[in-house]
Amino acid sequence: MKTNDLIIQTTTKLVFFIIFLFSIHIFFAGHYTPGGGFVGGLLMSSAIVLLLLAFDLKTVKEMLPVNYTVVTAIGLLISIATAAGSIFFNVPFFTHVYDYFNIPLLGKTSIHTAMFFDTGVYLVVVGVTMTIIQMIGGDE
Amino acid sequence: MAFQILLNVIIAVTWMFLSVSFKPTTFIVGYLLGLFMLFLLRKSFSSRFYLDQVWAVIKLIILFFKELTLSNISVLLLIIKPKMQIRPAIFAMPTVLEKDWEITLLSSLITLTPGTMVIAISDDNKTLYIHTLDLDDVDEAIDSIRDTFEKAILEVSRS
Repeated sequence: MKTNDLIIQTTTKLVFFIIFLFSIHIFFAGHYTPGGGFVGGLLMSSAIVLLLLAFDLKTVKEMLPVNYTVVTAIGLLISIATAAGSIFFNVPFFTHVYDYFNIPLLGKTSIHTAMFFDTGVYLVVVGVTMTIIQMIGGDE
Repeated sequence: MAFQILLNVIIAVTWMFLSVSFKPTTFIVGYLLGLFMLFLLRKSFSSRFYLDQVWAVIKLIILFFKELTLSNISVLLLIIKPKMQIRPAIFAMPTVLEKDWEITLLSSLITLTPGTMVIAISDDNKTLYIHTLDLDDVDEAIDSIRDTFEKAILEVSRS
């Protein structure tokens, strides 16, 4: 007995973008206010899980043709590269630097290497969560 | 609707370029000018003037808050009665709405007003199954929903 999922599908199409935007906002807010890579990654996974609930596994795989194992690997590589970058400047492992740059649209922005490390964390969290859920949920 | 809004934004941006000032105030002035031009040429578009649609949305919001208040009061009166004199029922309501978002909006509005709740939609998206707390007469309940929400949503989506 397949029920009519019209309402949840229509609502998901709208809410997915809101959760996605909120996840990006939380990710960038992590330096001064609560938030960061881990929570942002979990929010992103929750948005994809909402898609999985509203549609089925095959449809979501067509929408987002991403291999989440590769996402995890890329995230780990980014984090390791950020930490290992300090070796070339003759400072201890994991030393972070930051500087101010003038970016055309944003103006004077502080860029900190911790943000790249957090990007790695974000990708690892999304990859691991989605791998677990697809392993459990997929029956193929 | 979308085309007219896009045109209005393009007119506003053109106005910003013409007056060589990129401030929000210039954009607003250009937008209002574009609105006036679109109003003059409203007969030339295939769809209706988009402010009508915006007005219909505002009317729908006002109607929703009115219904919310009234039905809240009626449910409250049912609750504080010493005897439970309710007649719960589930009835089917055929709908004339076709688009996905219209049906979703109608179902949400029905569910958000206390006393009635959409529990299922038929597979061909033509019938809503509604559970109600206190049913006097099926036709009366269907007509009340028809006259309020369905009419207002049709008013919004009319091209």
